[in-house]
Parts: sequence; C-alpha cells; structure tokens
Amino acid sequence: MAHPEQSRTAVGAMLPGDHACLAYDHPAERDAIMTAFVWDGLRAGDAVLYLAEAGPDTAKRRLRAVFGADDRIEVLPACGDPRAAVRSALRRGYAGVRLTVEASAAPRGRPGTARFAAFEDAVDRLVGAHRPRVTALCQYDLRWFDAGRLPALEERHGARVRADDVFDDGVLTIAPLFAPPGLRLSGVLDASTLPALVAALRDLDEGAAHLCLDLSRLDFCDLEGVRGLVEANRSTAVLDRQIILRATPGCVELMLRVSGWRDSPGIVLEATG
Amino acid sequence: MIGFSAEPPARPVADHTAAPAPGEGADVLVHQALVYRTRRELELTAVPYLRAGCRGGEAVVVVAAPEVTAFLGGRLGAETASHVEFLDAGGWFGGPMHALATCFDRTRADWWPRGRVRLLTEPVWTGRTALEVREWKRHEAILNVAFAGTPTAIMCLYDASALPGHVVADASRTHPELAGPDGSVPSAHFTDPADFYDECNTVPLSQPPAAAACKAFSTGELPALRDFLAAEAGRLGLPGDRSLPFVLAVNEVATNIIREGGGRGALWVWAEDGELLCDVSDPGRVLTDRFLGYAPPHGRRRHEAAMWAVRRLCHIVEIRTGVDGTRLRMHVKL
Repeated sequence: MAHPEQSRTAVGAMLPGDHACLAYDHPAERDAIMTAFVWDGLRAGDAVLYLAEAGPDTAKRRLRAVFGADDRIEVLPACGDPRAAVRSALRRGYAGVRLTVEASAAPRGRPGTARFAAFEDAVDRLVGAHRPRVTALCQYDLRWFDAGRLPALEERHGARVRADDVFDDGVLTIAPLFAPPGLRLSGVLDASTLPALVAALRDLDEGAAHLCLDLSRLDFCDLEGVRGLVEANRSTAVLDRQIILRATPGCVELMLRVSGWRDSPGIVLEATG
Repeated sequence: MIGFSAEPPARPVADHTAAPAPGEGADVLVHQALVYRTRRELELTAVPYLRAGCRGGEAVVVVAAPEVTAFLGGRLGAETASHVEFLDAGGWFGGPMHALATCFDRTRADWWPRGRVRLLTEPVWTGRTALEVREWKRHEAILNVAFAGTPTAIMCLYDASALPGHVVADASRTHPELAGPDGSVPSAHFTDPADFYDECNTVPLSQPPAAAACKAFSTGELPALRDFLAAEAGRLGLPGDRSLPFVLAVNEVATNIIREGGGRGALWVWAEDGELLCDVSDPGRVLTDRFLGYAPPHGRRRHEAAMWAVRRLCHIVEIRTGVDGTRLRMHVKL
C-alpha cells in the first residue's frame, strides 16, 4: 500500500505531548516505529505504558526480546483504563510517560464508529491533561480496514508517523521499506553518498529473501552509485538474494546500459507501467 | 573472456603471422583488410570467406551498405545467404565507440555462444569529418586489442577505387593481414596498435573559443556543475532528451578529477559544426592513456569503467595528456 510519505513525520521527530497515529501494513514496520518510540522515551527518562490488545503476554515477550527486563516498561491490557497507570508513573518521578496502544481491531471499533471516536477522545484528553508529559502513539493495523477510512483515523491524531530514516545528510536520504523489505533512496547517489548505502545494506535484517530498492525519488545517480546498486548483494549472507530495482530513473537506466551491468546476477529491474 | 586491458595484456597478443586460417583456430582473433577495386575482386575473396563460415557453423555477419549486401546475397545464393545475418552499415557505424560497444554486446549475447563469429564489414568513410576519419582509423587499430584472444574473425572491406589513398594505406597499418583470392598474407606495414593509438593522439587539441562558457569545479561543487551543464546544453541547442547522457558523461570525468586526479579542474562548453563540445582540464594529473575506456568494465577498475561509460555516452572523446596535465574533449552531436 502506498503511503503519502510527505504527510508523515519521522517517529524520532515526535515532540513531547504529541498524540500520533502509527498506521502500518506490515508488522515489521510497526515494530521499527514502536521500538524507536520506546527507545526515545527511555532515553528521555520517561516511563513506557504499553496497552496490548491480544492479552499482555505476547507483547511482554516481544518487548523483553528488544529491551530486556526493564521495569520502566509496563504492559497493560488494552481494554483497561490507562489513566491510573499514567498518573502513578508521573507521581513516581518519571519525566514523562510514553503511551502506546494497539488499537487496531474489533474491541476499539473501526474508524468512523462511535466506539472508535470515544476511545481516541479519551486518549486525547489524557494527553491534553498532562501536556507535554504524556506522549501517545496509537498503532493501527491497516489490514483491518480499507484505506478509505484513513482520513477518519488521521483526524483524531495530531500527526501520522513513519519509521526514522536510516540515513540523511541532506544529499541522500535512505528510508526503510517493510513490505517488501528494502530501502527507499531519495536525492543524489554518487561517490560521496555511496558509503551510506553500503552501510545501510550491511545493517539490513538478513531475514528477507529478497530486497527492494525503491529509486522513484532518486534525482541523480552516477556510475559509482549504479555500481553500488548492482553490488547490493556484496555484503549479504543470504543465498540467491534478488535485488529488485523499483522505479529506476533515467540516469540509472542509462548508466546500467552503458556500463553493461544491466545483466548483473541477482539484479532485477522491475518493469514499470 | 576478453583479453583486453588498458594495461599490458596478461597474455601476449596473438602472433598474427602464424595465425591459422579463419575457422581453424579456437580463441584467436583474425583481423584482415580486403582492399578491392572491382565487384569481381570483392566477390572472389569475400564470398569464399562467408561460405567457409557457414560451412563451419559459425555465426556469420555482414555489415555493409544495402547495395553491397544485395550483391553478396546474390552471389552466395539464397540457401547460404539465409545463414548470414545482414546488418545495415548506416546504423552499425554511427560512431566508433558506438560500433565497438555494439560489437561487444552482440558478440557476447548472440554470436560467441554459437562458437566463432565471422564478420564482414565495410566501414563508412564518406561524409566523415577529419576527426571522425582519424577516430575510425583508431577504431580499426583498437579492434586488434579489444578482440584479441577471442573466437572472432573480422574482414574489413576497403574500396580502393573510391576511398582516399590515406584511408586505404592506413588499412594496411591497422590490419595484421591482407586478404586476397589466394588467401591472406601478413601486412608488411602492420603497426603495433599501441603505437598507432599514440600516433592518433599526437594531433593537438585546438583551444576552446573565447566565447565558450567556462566553469571551474572542485569538491562539493558537482551538483552546481550538473545544473550548469544542463543549462548550457539546452542553451546551445541540445534537445532535452539528450541532455542527460551529456551531463552524466561530463559528471563522470569531473568526479574522477576530484577523486583521483588533481582534485580540481575547469571545463569549457561550446557548440561548433553541429556538435556540442566540452573540454575538461585536469591540470594536476598526467594520465596514462593506453586504450583508456575502450574495455568494457570488469572488476573494480573504477576509472576505466568510468571512461568506458563516458565514451559510450558521447560521440567521440579525445584525451590529451602531458606535462601540463590532462585535457579531455567530449563531442556530442547536436
């Protein structure tokens, strides 16, 4: 599903007192954003309150796997009222509370329903009552409702968030992709920014069989950049991994042709149009 | 696979005087000139050459003007001609680098997989500028190196009744063998391709005109340089859809100067005789130009890969290097 990226804020750019919406269509995307949200809170001296939908145990296990046993993180069932837990954390002297809620499915109602509105209003009031000490992130699994309901979802939140960029030096921006897994490159890929791409490829999760490099926002790419793209498999341990080049701009097409690297093994140019 | 390198080749260039007849050797390049004056002389040598290739199951390709193609097709007979791929010389000989790259692409994709390839080509010399004539002669010399050690036979046709004397004379310097009805003989005037290449570089580059747009560049200034190039190319009449190859080519040269050359340079852009020209000077480096950019990229030879791409993106690229540094001139047809 295509996201209007421009209207989304990087999770790392959220401010204390924000009430934001995390609409995702892949669990890896949710995990990346939620994890960044929690880390940022812990670093700022906040307590973290996690309202889990399907019973707290699954969420507890998942959080422990990432953050270890950390008593600053509290997991509650999503059907409960978080107000008491928030007040308690603030009384205990935490700088603030990071509240994140699994709000996707049936118990909360779908966007547009009265139960949904009541729930989001309650979160909004809670954030407003302690602003800026409470920051909230509501997780919505887009697979549960159609894209037509997105406006109703956004309306209830101050912002929509996306995962943090992997790299951004003002010349090249590298953003993570989740479904399919990969990277989106924006700006200029050349000899000076290529090391960032190489590093980002090295840091990618090796769990994915194949990798998508979305080049739709690449403004310029020189021969060194094209070499970096066709050598994207250099650092992987994944056997027979395919690199799918998506929406290749004219400069990449041209350089692939004149360099003779178009037929490099493991490189697939996704057909356009 | 290709015994080509901008450095001295790993294996010695084949001893052409001892080269077997076409079809007999395995990975041996045979590069012959057939100088003819009449259709009869052409037929007596070219037709047996093509027939032998067809008999041997080789990929047989003729690159010639339509009337030569029609003539040879008629002499071969329909059955034999059906095994020959006829290509139009007009498209093939668009530019020397274009021809070299096309030949590499086709041999690797289509012809070598079938075994040996046997080409009969008639290069186009009419309507060429003095520079183009020189670069086409250079092209003939480069073929000896570019396809050395590959299962390739190339017979190049030279019509002595129509071509300028210097073109025919240089054919015997760029081809190790001269073909005739009684077989081929070593060319007594054959010149080492590296020497011929250097000879082509002895003609100095003219100064850019005073009106040429000039811009200096160094680290961090490539984005601005690209904007400048695109604007100048448009102003000088290069159609928008052909701006990108030009900008990419100059950008590669400038990148190389910044990263591996003197670190800073200057360029001049102007239009002249239906061409867009760009001179790039690298005052800080003396470059070794041994067939630089005439080998397809392989391995991690950054600069050579870049120069191959630059040559492919342009019509003709000239390189002059000396104690004062290096100057590259890129020609793009308007």
